[in-house]
Amino acid sequence: MFRSRVLLFFSGVCLNDWKILFDKELLQQCFKSVMNRKRALISDTFKVNKRRVGNEKQFGAVNNGEAGPLDVKATLQDLMTLFPRKLFNDALPQIVLKHQLYSIHNDRTQVDRQLSDLREQGELLMFQLGFDAEAFGLVFAADYKAKVLAGEEGRGTRGTVDKFLEKVLPSCKDLSFNKEKMLKEFLFTDSEITQLVKSGVLTVRDAGSWWLSIPNSGRFTKYLIQGRKAVLGMVKKSKYNEVLKAELEERQTNSQVKFQIKYHIHDIIGAELVECIPTTSGTVLRCVDY
Amino acid sequence: MLGFLTARQAGLDDPLRLRRAESTRRVLNLELNHDRDVDRIHNNGINTIDIEVIEGRYMLSGGADGVIVVYDLENNSRKPQYTCKAVCTVGRSSQYVHRFSVETVQWYPHDTGMFVSSSFDKTMKVWDTETLKPAEVFQFEGNVYCHHMSPIARKHSLIAVGTKDQKVQLCDLKSGSRIQVLQGHRGEVLSVRWSPRYEHILATASTDSRVLVWDVRRASGSLFSLDQHNGDKSKASSEAVNTAHNGRVNGLCFTVDGLYLLTTGTDDRMRLWNSANGKNTLVNYGKVSNESRKGLKITVSRSCSPEFVFVPCGSSVAVYTLHTGELVTMLRGHYNNVDCCQFHPDYQELYSGGKDCNILAWVPVVRPPDVEEEGTAAKGGSQATVNPAFEDAWSSDED
Repeated sequence: MFRSRVLLFFSGVCLNDWKILFDKELLQQCFKSVMNRKRALISDTFKVNKRRVGNEKQFGAVNNGEAGPLDVKATLQDLMTLFPRKLFNDALPQIVLKHQLYSIHNDRTQVDRQLSDLREQGELLMFQLGFDAEAFGLVFAADYKAKVLAGEEGRGTRGTVDKFLEKVLPSCKDLSFNKEKMLKEFLFTDSEITQLVKSGVLTVRDAGSWWLSIPNSGRFTKYLIQGRKAVLGMVKKSKYNEVLKAELEERQTNSQVKFQIKYHIHDIIGAELVECIPTTSGTVLRCVDY
Repeated sequence: MLGFLTARQAGLDDPLRLRRAESTRRVLNLELNHDRDVDRIHNNGINTIDIEVIEGRYMLSGGADGVIVVYDLENNSRKPQYTCKAVCTVGRSSQYVHRFSVETVQWYPHDTGMFVSSSFDKTMKVWDTETLKPAEVFQFEGNVYCHHMSPIARKHSLIAVGTKDQKVQLCDLKSGSRIQVLQGHRGEVLSVRWSPRYEHILATASTDSRVLVWDVRRASGSLFSLDQHNGDKSKASSEAVNTAHNGRVNGLCFTVDGLYLLTTGTDDRMRLWNSANGKNTLVNYGKVSNESRKGLKITVSRSCSPEFVFVPCGSSVAVYTLHTGELVTMLRGHYNNVDCCQFHPDYQELYSGGKDCNILAWVPVVRPPDVEEEGTAAKGGSQATVNPAFEDAWSSDED
């Protein structure tokens, strides 16, 4: 009984992957890589043992631990290129979801800290997207301002929106505003607040308070949820509910998926809707059934 | 390793440094060992285990059938194969046994002559270990989810009890009466914990998504409530303001020095709080899956650097680094949901119990012998240090 249990533990990969791991050497190297990963953790903390060459190499898995310092801004810019601008006729700024960053960088706490630094500096804006308490959208501030003002061309509400962008955004880094703040601190009148809601910069949160939002982002949210469901369905329908990440990236998407599939893959990995398992043939995404 | 020893000998290093390095190495190498087993007495799931703090020798476990078992963890036989035997049991045949499932057990912090158990039969019993008879029975109006006695208290001997009722009751062991009631929660109290640093600070977690911290000497209400957004009202929707989690809070654990408090909730999140001012340290552990309707027992390592937290996650135990939130490993071995885990600080072992009626002992792996000691290398295989568990017993020789 114990031997099978120990083997179960050390496999690291579920028994379903026996067909990849039937080779004895690969199996032993896989076990060693599990142990070596832990030994590598000790040498980081205490720098006792000399780094053995090849200690860090995990068989086949993509090495996510970059040698250089964590650069969240560069990753953000890379992810922004995945956003389809043509789909929305260039009316929306490029939006990246906060949890998509978690799929690229391992250390979530560091990612959070750098994001809050960028927000303090005023370069990045964060929005509560509404469909999930934990889903936050990130937009570069310059992008946001440009698109909102472009959308307001020739409309009566332009002046108020301008005033809002100039006064409120640089000083206040919150995600939502309530009535007293708007009236007392920023001296907006009720009718101006109504204009802001009409233009889409504010959305109603509950009586007397509003979320900061991106105008015309309703379609974005709709396509995101649709596409997420479709990609998750693709993983679920695969044999054993798992699929190689590289293979999923190559797959043809149906009409439900409007964004690039890589965008959705980062989304489902970061939101932990699928489990990321390193194997000898690459990273495998397995559906987490709850 | 030898470097650490020489540095300690020469006085270059603090003795604590060697101890911490070795403890951390042992915790990182936890695994199931076929030499160590715990006697299987329970017929239903195991809800709670507790290891006594004085010697670390005896372990209590409480099960879903109301049975309480005391195990002896020490290995007095000369052989490495050892089963932790049950020393005594409060079984179904005893006339004092709990009628329904035992939710929490705890040894009396100052000696093993006494232990306290609380159960869904709405009672909390203080047992005498010698005779296995309850010396005191406290009756409550609702199911008792948890209780805790302060491990460092000298001035009081209060047991904090969390029940289905919204009030946290404090029972006094010396007088046998319920002397204080803490009001402030709006839902069932799922977990209570005394601080290991100050004997009058108590933290309670409830289904109303809030965690309150109390000073029991004060006449007025709680000291503060833990807020996951640190007072930033804009982040949450308006109902979720001033809550610790977006769902029920069912796990509470102080770190050993009492400076930090860990909470887990059914929103699949675990949060680390500064226990002095109640601020969320915003360490992101990712999704810590949590589906427990009752309390979840999490535990923290001791005297390691970095500290680790062990959380039962489904049918495995997840090990996270405390301050960076990194998932170190998942300890897989149980066949069903894991309900509780307890860390043995002296031997760096982890005991976990779950619905599959097993208590598993996770023991650090012994260092493999050095290659020079093996003599000539074995035929064919390149690894002279292969653990017998890895020995290939299934593939044929014609490779």
